[in-house]
Amino acid sequence: MNLDQTLLAAAMGLPLLLLLACASARLRRRMPALFVLAPLPALAAALWAGHDSMLVLGNTRFALRFALDLPGAMLLGCAAVLWALAGMFAWRYLRERADSDGLVVCWLMTLTGCVGVFLAADMIGFYFLLAVLSVGASGLVLQGEGPQAVRASAIYLGLALLAEAFLLAGLILLAQATPDGSLLIRDAAAALPGSPWRDLTLILLLVGLGMKAGLVPLHFWMPLAYGEAPIPAAAVMSGAVVKASILALIRFLPWSTALPDAGHALALIGLFGAIYGVLIGITQSQPKLILAYSSVSQMGFLVAVIGMGLAAGDTGTALAAAFYAAHHLLVKGALFLAVGVVMLTGRRHRWPMLVPAAVIALGLGGLPLTGGALTKYAAKDLLGEGLAGSVAVVSSIATTLLMIHFLRRLSAMTAVEADARAPAAMVTAWLAMALASLLIPWALYLAIPIDTLPKAVAPAALWAALWPVLVGALLALGLDRLGTRIPQVPAGDVGEVLYPLEDASMAAGGWCERVDAFTRRWAVSCIALLLVSLLFGWTLMVG
Amino acid sequence: MSPAAPVNLTTPGGLLLVLAVLLPFAGVLLGLVLGGRHAQRVAWLTILLGIGVVLAITRASLGSGASLVYLLGGWAPPLGVALRADGLAVCMMLVVAVVVGAVGVYANGDFGTPAGQRETRAALAFWLLLLAVWGSLNLVFVSGDIFTLYVALELLTFAGVPLVALDGRAETLQAALRYLVYALLGSMFYLLGTFLLYGAYGTLDIALLAERVGAQPVTWMAAALMTAGLLAKTALFPLHLWLPPAHAGAPAAASALLSALVIKGAWFLVVRLWVDVFPGIVSLPAAQLLAALGASAIIVGNIVALRQARLKLLIAYSTVAQIGYLFLMFPLVQALNATQQGNAAAVTGGLLQAISHATAKAAMFMAAGLIYSTLGHDRVADLRGAGRALPMTITAFALAGASLIGLPPSGGFLAKWLLLSAAIATAQWWWVLVMLVGGLLTSAYVFMVVVRAMAPAAPGWSPKKQVPGYQQAAVLGLALCSFLLGLAALLPFDVAQIGRAVVPLVGSP
Amino acid sequence: MNAPTLFGLCAAVLVGFGLYGLIVHPQPLRKVLSFNLMGSGVFLVCAVIARRGAAAGMGGDPVPQALLITAIVVAFAASALAVALMLRQFDETGSSSLSNDPGPAPAKPAAKGEA
Repeated sequence: MNLDQTLLAAAMGLPLLLLLACASARLRRRMPALFVLAPLPALAAALWAGHDSMLVLGNTRFALRFALDLPGAMLLGCAAVLWALAGMFAWRYLRERADSDGLVVCWLMTLTGCVGVFLAADMIGFYFLLAVLSVGASGLVLQGEGPQAVRASAIYLGLALLAEAFLLAGLILLAQATPDGSLLIRDAAAALPGSPWRDLTLILLLVGLGMKAGLVPLHFWMPLAYGEAPIPAAAVMSGAVVKASILALIRFLPWSTALPDAGHALALIGLFGAIYGVLIGITQSQPKLILAYSSVSQMGFLVAVIGMGLAAGDTGTALAAAFYAAHHLLVKGALFLAVGVVMLTGRRHRWPMLVPAAVIALGLGGLPLTGGALTKYAAKDLLGEGLAGSVAVVSSIATTLLMIHFLRRLSAMTAVEADARAPAAMVTAWLAMALASLLIPWALYLAIPIDTLPKAVAPAALWAALWPVLVGALLALGLDRLGTRIPQVPAGDVGEVLYPLEDASMAAGGWCERVDAFTRRWAVSCIALLLVSLLFGWTLMVG
Repeated sequence: MSPAAPVNLTTPGGLLLVLAVLLPFAGVLLGLVLGGRHAQRVAWLTILLGIGVVLAITRASLGSGASLVYLLGGWAPPLGVALRADGLAVCMMLVVAVVVGAVGVYANGDFGTPAGQRETRAALAFWLLLLAVWGSLNLVFVSGDIFTLYVALELLTFAGVPLVALDGRAETLQAALRYLVYALLGSMFYLLGTFLLYGAYGTLDIALLAERVGAQPVTWMAAALMTAGLLAKTALFPLHLWLPPAHAGAPAAASALLSALVIKGAWFLVVRLWVDVFPGIVSLPAAQLLAALGASAIIVGNIVALRQARLKLLIAYSTVAQIGYLFLMFPLVQALNATQQGNAAAVTGGLLQAISHATAKAAMFMAAGLIYSTLGHDRVADLRGAGRALPMTITAFALAGASLIGLPPSGGFLAKWLLLSAAIATAQWWWVLVMLVGGLLTSAYVFMVVVRAMAPAAPGWSPKKQVPGYQQAAVLGLALCSFLLGLAALLPFDVAQIGRAVVPLVGSP
Repeated sequence: MNAPTLFGLCAAVLVGFGLYGLIVHPQPLRKVLSFNLMGSGVFLVCAVIARRGAAAGMGGDPVPQALLITAIVVAFAASALAVALMLRQFDETGSSSLSNDPGPAPAKPAAKGEA
């Protein structure tokens, strides 16, 4: 095993080892202190592991394979930073909680799944680790204290499993079309354009991954889950966990072949979601929910970028999308931590907490010189000048508006005692995360030749980034004037249709129960036996 | 009889097959004689020896790469009776040995007798019936002729029925009686089919029958009667009237045996008939009909399971649904046969489904038993506190549930992957839909139970009874077997070898 | 009409009676009797088959006779087990029924609980 493979194995192995160690109650109690350390091997792997070598577990007939490509390394590194700092936050958070067991186990399970999905290079391993990730994350939602936590968790898991059912069907179609039985994602993506079931496979994959990414109209799990999950859990879920689907899109789609139909459809749905998320977001008053809707919007935008790239067959899409995702990962994770810190901080000490939040929040809208402006700049060429480009500008404006709304609601949420201070560990985690989300995008931009530095800081580029922010700020003033006249939309908007659906499914269930009771009568059952044998005789005869 | 018939020699290790069948029954007789004080010890001795025998059989069959054959008394079929163990049979025997061992460990708690005391009637009956179930199942797996299989199935039923009524309550007696009478009706159908086949072809031996059967009305009639009779014994929807009350009413250890193993006996026989005896006779429409019954079992069983108020009934209905999965393999096997691709994927998928269901369902029923003794009830709505009192057991329940849902790396996932691949390769997408929807419905009730069990207990609540650690360990062990079964694909030998042993034998019995 | 056909028809009639009884009678004792009636029909089929084997020149095919004996023993054991269960149920409840249908049979509360 060479160094690269060791790094990959350690990245997966340490969280898994800690998860298994949770079987002992004594070790489980000490586990939160190790939250910071658990993702560090993943960070090391992202920084130093080569992109050519592959970790193979198994034999020649069947093996699980792990490898790291450039988009994967980018996202894995950022995710590891978020997991470590959110882990620090969670450690402090858990000291106040009576029962920590569930959260500890689910945290490590989600971490294992998250790192694993970023590393998985074959379809079986990917599906397996995605399932681990979904189950772990639904467990994290379940740890929320609210009365709706169980419902949110059930909806999260239900939709995740539904998405995985779509994915499984898509993966099997992919595997059938891949030559010589290879299960590598790379080979499957290359074989996809020539597959006899190309369109069906694409639809299944896009629906499955789109649901996991929170595409409208199947986004309603997102506000429900992030609203109910404990703060550090919401941070890693909105930051790292949801990026698994983006990375999967990047890896499964064939970039060398232009697929205009699928790509444009995807882009259209994504852009709609980008605007829709903001529109519902400004009707919310809880900062966590506003952030969740901002995630809906941002993920929509990201999917639109991927869709336009797919339509054009642009091989640069993978990197641009991964870069955008990495930035969103850092910022969204940081902002959730900010909500947790500000809630514990009194009025007197709030400004040092709020100012960094303001900078990175506006960065999401594309404030010049922040990472957000860089990512928008990188994605600009993909979207082009047409309708998609215009919607992108509108999305920038809208995001700025939503973020200002968020900041206003956040500053109103300070602790009751004016002198209260958040625990030092939490503040450290939050400030470090804020710093990371400002610096890492620049480092990535320069380390990975996405574009040159002078172009990004040219006055024209700066102005192109600045004016949507200014317009957004003006609109925010207008929104403030509207005040209470904005209608309140319940969290999970279209998810409300689930309530009548539940009634309908109860009725269907009652019908099934009656069928069961009917067939279990003696006479019916005996006659059914006769009928079944006659039917078999008949079908054998005609066949 | 054609000289090319590959079956008429006793192979090395063939005697082991006789041992695998006789040993448990010898245990039953010895236990009956020594009963009252020593049945448990006799049972344990037999279980340990029996596991050794099954391991030896596995080794012998892996070593030779062919099926083991034993001719009773040296008489070759059609006059004599042959015992044969191919890859399918060896796999099933292994699983049965594992489940019987785990149930035995668990039952030490419920049916154990402290030294010096007399065994209760229920305990004595349980240990003897456990061995009887085991012996009859082994006979089902190794029998080479269809009449011996009839006797084996009847033995299995006679061992299973009293297990239902171990506690002697009125409603379990009624459930047992329903089970018995309906199963007898099914056996009569099967027996009539057997006689018809003998009348037409003059042999009962599976291998010889497979050579001789031709497409004519008497074969169709016999196949239809035998299949319908076996379906009644497997409790495939809509012939499942006896299953829910019987499996839910029995004591936990007995439910585990019944639900995990006993129904697999008749299922295994359907596989034998359809894949080995009648491959040229069964038509695709018939296979589709069989799978359609399976699909309706999946849908109705899962939905009704979701609406159950009691945990054991919920698990029993989950069995009704899972039986449906076992029958989805038949149209895939048929279609694969037609395309000359070899039916290995579908057969192995079905086998894996049976194995993972056997281990997972046994774990679930035993977990339900532990929950019942800890909480004093098994109402699904009121399971809170169970997670705190029995963390290992709830984990086991969740892992077994993951296997039923088909989450990787469980055996259920591997089975699902193989079956789904076969369905897509043969363009039968509707079975894909059924399997995926079934998985979602399963996840709903597993989630419901686990979440309710994880809720904190009411203040001041304390467990009704402390359950011993070894019972929890047995449950967790079985659940882990089921959950990690998929990892067997990673081993350098194992599944492929056995799988390869399966393929040629299934193709040319 | 030759002898095998006649016996075959008798067997069919017996099986038919047995099935009818199994379907319509809720009382378990009658069900067990019906089962035996049906069994007799099936055994008669076997006997006819043995007789047909005599066409080969032997006095009768011995294999079906061996099967028949075994099957009768099995059916007898089954009936005994069923009767034993019925007696226990009668001891417990004072009545004996298999029906959980809301029909002519007097369904007991215990039976309803299981339905």
